[in-house]
Amino acid sequence: MYRDTIEKMAFNGLNPGKAIEETKASTGKDLVGVFPIRTPEEIVYAAGCVPVGMWGGRTELSLADRYLQSFCCSIMRTNLEYALRGVYNDVKAVIIPSFCDSMKCVIENWKLALPQIPTIALAYPQQRRLQAGLEFTVSEIKRVKHELELALHKIITNEQVEEAFSVYENYRKAMREFTTLAADHPDIITAKKRYLIMKAGSYMDKAVYTDMIREINEGLKEEAPSTFKGIRAIVTGIMVEPAEILDIFEENGIALVGDDLAIGSRLWRTPSRDEVEDVYLKMAYIIYDIEGDTFFFDPDKKKGSMLISMKDELKADCVIVMMIKFCDPEEYDYPIYKAELEEAGIPHLYLEVDEQMTGFEQHRTRIQSFSEMIL
Amino acid sequence: MFLGIDIGSSSTEAALISEDGKLLAVAVRNAGTGSRAYEEVVRDVLSEAGTTMDDVRYTVVTGYGRTLYKEADRQITEITCHAKGVRYLMGRVSTIVDIGGQDSKVIKLDEDGNVKNFLMNEKCAAGTGRFLEVMTRVLGCSLEDLSDMADRSTRFIPINNVCTVFAESEVISRLATGEAPEDVARGAHVAVAKRVMGMCSRVGYSPKVVMTGGVALNSNMVDALSQELGLPVEVPPHCQAVGAIGAAVAAMETYKKIMGEES
Repeated sequence: MYRDTIEKMAFNGLNPGKAIEETKASTGKDLVGVFPIRTPEEIVYAAGCVPVGMWGGRTELSLADRYLQSFCCSIMRTNLEYALRGVYNDVKAVIIPSFCDSMKCVIENWKLALPQIPTIALAYPQQRRLQAGLEFTVSEIKRVKHELELALHKIITNEQVEEAFSVYENYRKAMREFTTLAADHPDIITAKKRYLIMKAGSYMDKAVYTDMIREINEGLKEEAPSTFKGIRAIVTGIMVEPAEILDIFEENGIALVGDDLAIGSRLWRTPSRDEVEDVYLKMAYIIYDIEGDTFFFDPDKKKGSMLISMKDELKADCVIVMMIKFCDPEEYDYPIYKAELEEAGIPHLYLEVDEQMTGFEQHRTRIQSFSEMIL
Repeated sequence: MFLGIDIGSSSTEAALISEDGKLLAVAVRNAGTGSRAYEEVVRDVLSEAGTTMDDVRYTVVTGYGRTLYKEADRQITEITCHAKGVRYLMGRVSTIVDIGGQDSKVIKLDEDGNVKNFLMNEKCAAGTGRFLEVMTRVLGCSLEDLSDMADRSTRFIPINNVCTVFAESEVISRLATGEAPEDVARGAHVAVAKRVMGMCSRVGYSPKVVMTGGVALNSNMVDALSQELGLPVEVPPHCQAVGAIGAAVAAMETYKKIMGEES
């Protein structure tokens, strides 16, 4: 039975449009678009809406070129393209963090090009671990709440935020358990299924999604130990797109047993602080406690050591770097952890991708060669 | 006997090795994926060795078109096959530079000849044989004559554009301002060498460096790369067919492993 749930989740991850339609129909809730990387979705959920992840997609770009140059990443260009074509006409507002130069431009472009969809900008502090930084994060979360209230014409109570935070805590806990169990069963939770299940969460009501994840978790607990003989890989980056790349991983016996993805574990691996009572401060402390995330200033550059620890803990064979073309923040990190991986003798594969790519032969050769090198 | 076939983007090669690992025949055709050249090279090597497919115990196919050739027993990437081919032909080698028509690869080997790391160029044609091919069109010479033309250079003219399309415009501009075609030809070779040098630096390189692929037939290119790396660059015999020879070696190894496991 839980295997059907796996298939359903994988379908949703592969077909965001259909997943969102179903979510809207089944919940009756309004939709609010949330850009990557870490938007305070709890506030949207507290408003009785479903936050919909805006991770781009594969389409031909034409309208977006009016606003964004070809050297902007495909996620930002596609989001703008979809919006200009009316794909997001259903969303009641969008929340856009300002993590990189492209995102900062998109915030302004969106206001100009799509005035009918209210734009809520969000800035996280660079110095998030100073007291002032912590207070700033709280004030930003509250500002987002206020602007969302104006966009939706409704009040969001503190109680509603607390309830939403509780839903998200359950989701994060279930996802931490899922990724642990998935690593033990790479024959069932294959590379593609693992990724698509994680991605599906961006297009579903988190309470519904969490129940389905729990069902998968319970099913995996009943399974006999895995006999998987292929390559156990850790994947890092924003996302693993296009999905054909995942097919090539599977063709070459590669399973993803751990991840450091912006659309994956970076969303749930940082636990909240039990001793903190105020819900806004709890949310701010999650941002405060984040480690090794490309998009949050990390003077100690812990990503490399975290990848190495993850590799050891999960008995992985290698690290795969999924680099979205023109993603400056991810590219800045790469030379640092590349040197650390090499120093530790960990094989790694660098794949530069963008969501619009349609030819995969070069990537097939890279992935197959890497597989032949390890096996 | 064991057969290796390399279906590249612009040429196809085959190699046949005997039961005891001796190279019996090599064939090269200047037509790649999408053509039926693989049938011709297979026919050529079988004919040269005086044998038929009935005597071939195992076949490995490699190269850009490897997934299209269904008759092979196994398909392996050209990166692995170049490593095996170079090991077979040249013994212990540390770095392989393979400049093909479609892409370039730098392969780092361990002491046993296994692939330790590798790097392929990105989609653009800079640093590939295609770049030189485009240059011949502008310089009005054949690919075979390009090396000799560059050998006659007396002055270094840098080609600074990385993009092949822009580099073509740059070369046209250089010629329009009266620069000698020989100097521009040398500049084009150095431009490819610099691009490949960048890849070598990223993956790490050390002697012995070997260059494979059809572009290794271009002695000016080998010289330009050697100067950029500051190391001698050696070219193996049958440099264009190293992938096919490696595939034949892989066929022999795989067959013996299978038979060993079964007996």
